[in-house]
Amino acid sequence: MKLEVFDPPMCCSSGVCEPDVDPALTQFAADLEGLNRRGVEVCRYNLAHEPMAFARNTTVRDELQADEGCLPLVLLNGKIVSKCAYPSGEFLASVIAEETEHVS
Amino acid sequence: MFPEPTLSLMDVQTRHLFFTGKGGVGKTSLACAAAVALADAGKRVLLVSTDPASNLQHVFYTDIDEKTPTAIEGVENLYALNLDPEEAAGTYRDRVIGPVRGVLPEATVREMEEQLSGACTTEIAAFDEFTALLADPQATAGFEHVVFDTAPTGHTLRLLSLPNAWTGFLDTNTSGTSCLGPLAGLEKQRQQYKAAVDALADGAATTLVLVSRPQRSALAEAARTSEELAELKIRNQRLALNGLMPEPRCDDPLALALRRRDESALADMPEALKALPVDRIPLQPHNLVGVPALRALLMNMESAIDEPAEITEYLPPIPTGPLYDLVDEIEKDGHGLVMVMGKGGVGKTTLAAAIAVELAGRGNEVNLTTTDPAAHLDSTVHGEVDMLKISRIDPQVETERYRSHIMETKGKDLDSKGRAMLEEDLRSPCTEEIAVFKAFSKAIREGGRKFVVMDTAPTGHTLLLLDATGAYHRDIVRHVKEGTRFATPMMQLQDPAQTKMLLVTLPETTPVLEAAALQEDLRRAGIEPWAWIINASLAASGPTDPLLAARALSELEQIGKVQREMAHRTALVPWAVEEPTGSENLRQLLFFANNTIRQEVHT
Repeated sequence: MKLEVFDPPMCCSSGVCEPDVDPALTQFAADLEGLNRRGVEVCRYNLAHEPMAFARNTTVRDELQADEGCLPLVLLNGKIVSKCAYPSGEFLASVIAEETEHVS
Repeated sequence: MFPEPTLSLMDVQTRHLFFTGKGGVGKTSLACAAAVALADAGKRVLLVSTDPASNLQHVFYTDIDEKTPTAIEGVENLYALNLDPEEAAGTYRDRVIGPVRGVLPEATVREMEEQLSGACTTEIAAFDEFTALLADPQATAGFEHVVFDTAPTGHTLRLLSLPNAWTGFLDTNTSGTSCLGPLAGLEKQRQQYKAAVDALADGAATTLVLVSRPQRSALAEAARTSEELAELKIRNQRLALNGLMPEPRCDDPLALALRRRDESALADMPEALKALPVDRIPLQPHNLVGVPALRALLMNMESAIDEPAEITEYLPPIPTGPLYDLVDEIEKDGHGLVMVMGKGGVGKTTLAAAIAVELAGRGNEVNLTTTDPAAHLDSTVHGEVDMLKISRIDPQVETERYRSHIMETKGKDLDSKGRAMLEEDLRSPCTEEIAVFKAFSKAIREGGRKFVVMDTAPTGHTLLLLDATGAYHRDIVRHVKEGTRFATPMMQLQDPAQTKMLLVTLPETTPVLEAAALQEDLRRAGIEPWAWIINASLAASGPTDPLLAARALSELEQIGKVQREMAHRTALVPWAVEEPTGSENLRQLLFFANNTIRQEVHT
C-alpha cells in the first residue's frame, strides 16, 4: 500500500512563511504519521524542492496540465484519490480500506 | 616595514575572523583593512566576501575570482575570494527548476521560481558557501587566517542546529519539512554543516567582530546580535565602533552635535556590549578604496584631513531637489497611498511622518500609519496638525499575535521537536513582514479617498507569495462589497496613480545597493518605485567642518548613481542630528540647509 502526496510549492512546508496557514496541514501530517505507523508506505513531495517527482509521474503531470490548481494531490497505489485540498483522516482511512478490499 | 597598527583588533589570534553588522556600517572596509594588516604582519591571509553587496573589486581595484583565491597586488600574502550568494541561489534555482521547465505547466514553474526567490534562499545559499571554507581544511589549506566580511545570522544557525531540521529530509519525510527546504537541494552533508557551526562556536578558532555605528539604535541592534550569537555559544566577540566623530576643529554646529550624539550613545552603551573588547575607528573623510587607505584606517589616525580650511570652500553643488518638490507632485493627485520603504535604519518612519505632516499642513486629509515602536510621533505631532490622523501598528505585537495564533492552531498537535521547528520557522524575517502587512491592509483601502502614508511596505517576494496563494483574492472578495474601486490590492499597488512607492536609502555604497535589490524585487511583482529618497545627506545639510565637508563631497558619487541609473525621481534629505520631533522639525527635512548650492539641472 503506497500513499503519495504531492504538495504545492512551499518555501517552508510548515507553511508559516505564507500568509494563510492551513490548519488542515498539521492534522494531515499527523494523519500521515499514523498511517505510516500502521504500515502504509508514505511519500511526500514538495513542488519547490522535488519537482522531478512531479515531472516523472505521468498521472501527476497530466493532472497539472489539465488543472494547475489541483495541488495538493494524493495518490493511492498510483491513482488519484484526492485533489485541491488536504483530505481528512477519515477519508484517508476509508479509501485505504476500500483499496485493501479491492486488492484482496 | 609598516608602522604598527594601533587597533587591538590586530592582536586577534584566531584562524577565522567574521565581521557582522547592518549594511553600510563598514563591514567590508574593516574586513579588508584587517586582512591587509594581518598580511602586512607576515601572515598568509584569505579574505572572503559573501556579501551580495560586496565591493571587494572596487576596494582593491582588481577583479576577484569566485573559485580561486586572487592574489591582491601590493599586499604580499593576501588573497581574496568573492562568493556571490545571489548567484549561488540562482544556480540552485536553475538546478531545481531547469529539468521541469517545459514539462510542468508554465504557471506552476513560475510559482516555484517565486518560492525559491526569497531572502531565505539567498541566506542559506550564503551559508552554504561559508561551510566549505569553514569545515573543509583542504579548502583553506596554506592560509593562517581566513577573514569573512559577513557572518551567518542567528536564525540560520539555529535552523541548522535543530536536529529535527535534518531528520525531515534524511528520514521518511512524512511530516513535511521546513524553512531549510532550500538547503536540501544544495547537496551538502549534514556533517559539513555541523563542522561549520562547531568552528563558529569554537572561541580558539573564530573571532566575531560586531561592527556598529556609535549611535543608540545601532548599538541596541548590535547588542541584540551579540546576545543572540552568545546563546549559540559564539562567545569570542569584539566590538568595532566605526565612524566616530573626532573632536571638531571648528565650531560647525553639525559637527559639535554629531560629537555630542556619539558621546551620549557611548555613555549609555548597552550592557551586552560593555564587556567586549572595543576598537574605535574615527569617521573617515572618504570612502575607503585602495590599499594605502586601508592601511591608514587601522593606524587609527586622528583624521586624514590635512588642510581643513580649503575644503569648506568646495561644498558640492547638489544635483537633485529636496523632498519638498516631491511632496508637490504627490499632492497633485489629491489622494493616494504613499508607501515609504527601505532597509531598517534608513529613516523610513521619520520621512513618512515628514511627508504626512506636510500634506496635512497644506489642507489635505491624511492618515499616517506608522510602525514607530516608540510612538514618539504620536505624542509630538498629535493635535498639532488638523488634517492628520495617526494610527499605529506595533510590529512586535502583531508578530507575537501572529506567532501565537500559529502555535495554537498549527502547533497544537505537534510533538516537542515539531514545535521547536515550527517556532524557528516563525522567527524568520518573513513572519514579521507578513504579520505587519496583514495589519496594514485595512489602511491601504482608504487610499482611494484621502492620503494614506505608511512607513513600511511589503517586499515583492511577499506580494507575489500572497498573490499566488490566493490570500489576496479572498481578501478582495471579502471587501469588494464596501465599494472600493480597485480590482485587487495587488493591482492597486501596481498602479502609480493609486500607490506611490518611495524607496529610502542613504548616500553610501551598500545602502544604495540594498535599495537597488529591493527595487528589483518590487519590479518582479510588477511594481515600479515612484521615487527614491536619499536620506541623511551631509551635502544637503551644508557642513562647514572640513571632515564633514569632505564626506559631503564623497556622497556625490552615490547620489549621481541613484539619479542616473536607479530612480525616476530623486529627492535628497539633509542629515538631522537628533530624530526630529514635532511638525516644525519634521518640515525642516523637506528643505536643504541655507548654505547649500543647487546644481542647475537641465531637462
